[in-house]
Amino acid sequence: MTQMNRRDLMAGAGALGLASLMPLRASAGIDIAFDSLFAVDQVAKVRAARGVAPFDCFVLDPGPAAAAQAAGLFEPIDASKLANGPKVPTGLITSHGVTCNAQVVGIAYNPKKFATPPKGWADLFKSPYVERLGLTGFQTTFGTVSIIEMAKVFGGSATNVEPVFAELKKAVAKAAAVAAPAAMPGLFQQGQIDIMYTNTNTVAILKGRGVDIEFLKPETGAITFQTTLHIVKGADNVASAYKYIDTAISAEVQTELQKQPYNMIPINKDVKLVDTLDIKSLDELAKMVTHDWTVINPQRAAWIERFNKEITK
Amino acid sequence: MAGVAAVAGGVPGNKVDWRLAAPLGLTYLAFFAAPFVILLGVSFYADSEQTRLGLDSWTKFYGDAFYRKVIFDTLKLGVFAVLATTLLAYPLALVFRGASPRAQRVLIFIILMPLLTSVVIRTFAWIVILAREGVVNQTLIGLGLTSTPLNLLQTELGLVIALTQIEMPLMLLPLLTIMNGMDQNLIDASRALGASKWRTFFKVTLPLTLPGWIAGATLVFASSTTAFISQSVIGGARLVYLPALIYQQVTVVYNWPFAAVASFTLLFTVLAGIMALGWLGRFARTS
Repeated sequence: MTQMNRRDLMAGAGALGLASLMPLRASAGIDIAFDSLFAVDQVAKVRAARGVAPFDCFVLDPGPAAAAQAAGLFEPIDASKLANGPKVPTGLITSHGVTCNAQVVGIAYNPKKFATPPKGWADLFKSPYVERLGLTGFQTTFGTVSIIEMAKVFGGSATNVEPVFAELKKAVAKAAAVAAPAAMPGLFQQGQIDIMYTNTNTVAILKGRGVDIEFLKPETGAITFQTTLHIVKGADNVASAYKYIDTAISAEVQTELQKQPYNMIPINKDVKLVDTLDIKSLDELAKMVTHDWTVINPQRAAWIERFNKEITK
Repeated sequence: MAGVAAVAGGVPGNKVDWRLAAPLGLTYLAFFAAPFVILLGVSFYADSEQTRLGLDSWTKFYGDAFYRKVIFDTLKLGVFAVLATTLLAYPLALVFRGASPRAQRVLIFIILMPLLTSVVIRTFAWIVILAREGVVNQTLIGLGLTSTPLNLLQTELGLVIALTQIEMPLMLLPLLTIMNGMDQNLIDASRALGASKWRTFFKVTLPLTLPGWIAGATLVFASSTTAFISQSVIGGARLVYLPALIYQQVTVVYNWPFAAVASFTLLFTVLAGIMALGWLGRFARTS
């Protein structure tokens, strides 16, 4: 068995790591060391390492992935080295990344606290929802794309979020919480907030803990984006990284990932979806709203600064 | 005082061998001083891509009223945490001083208990306590003191309450040490000469325990102004403090020169607070 030290392989995605660990050990004789990091932290760590790869694989959301791609932090992907590659829908393996699961973002609410559920993004800014709303800004992928969709319903676009800032300024005084993204599930669980924008993964996890929560696709459509695996530029163990990625997209691991406690939407075509996910088939993803992060990223720093200044006290 | 003078002056022929401090000194040089210099260098890049030099990050940070308010709020949080821990720690320290040895052991265990739990766990526990459906609100509603839950989370008040509990051992431990070593005869003399309990406290106890309070206040101030987890989780995004701003600039915005300026600001403002507390030491009495 190949024993790797801590700086050899993998960062992020504890769930992905845990589900892949045993199959990878069994099939390829590879042991994995993990660094449990948010996507943004992974990119920051590799940038700070300045060419000395601190680990071999990234697990990223599209925002940080686009930033890392622009900074030249990825090795190219040779799809022919992935035995499970043909099981992944066309377009989900690119020149520098392999999709390992899909995320669906929409509105999550407590059905016991509202007589009628909201219909769309605009409802979040109206009573009785706004008083129980948990707001989060542009730090995360789900937060950013949700606010862009809110901007659209108020007449804005992915390049014009002005209309939503006007609404946010009015809503912030009434909102139940303006919090860090990672704090939102805890605030929902404790009843501090009863409505928020988040992904199906978080909803399934909370539901699994007995929290009263339902996922709702806004009338303008739910948002989808992919979580992708990448090989870090200058990685020490490229061959092992390919085996890891191949294992992660295998039907065996993907089947496990869609169950509790991971609740991830699989991308392997051979996997039969479980009914705890909020989608019935992978075809639904094609009808959902998507975003171009090469357009979003250049504006994001200014949005974050503006959110800090205008929405916070 | 003679004993103190002898230590300060050193014993002739018994010179300190500075090589004893070499392991720690070299470690500091490699892992603190060197990164410190690199950080200073990064702060003088004018753009987030670090392609050209300039003072842009400094002028943007200090020229913007929002960031100046973030500095002020961070320092204010530290001051509030010191005040709150002081108000609660002194009475407890006086109780401790008057307690039997067995009761003192129990008290020490209770005081140290929070330190045995991770600060992350303690912080998240405060969500359960301060939330709308938390213990505090349920109690207040149950007692009929309020009809609607109070907003305690995501407020400066809630954050100060949580930090007071989280940082309390740092204030109490130095205070207890110095208070236990205080000469009881001085207190008895003050009372025998007709001073009230309050006058005795302010004229005798407080000056004598000031070195312990300064040590505790320094620890609480430094710890609460840099308490990233508590500030983020309890304070939320409505309250912006320097640690969260630095994290955001490093990991999300990737503007490292700006983050370096914020880091230096945090370091030196906390240092200034600590120096101010140290300056108070000149008013301390040792006997």
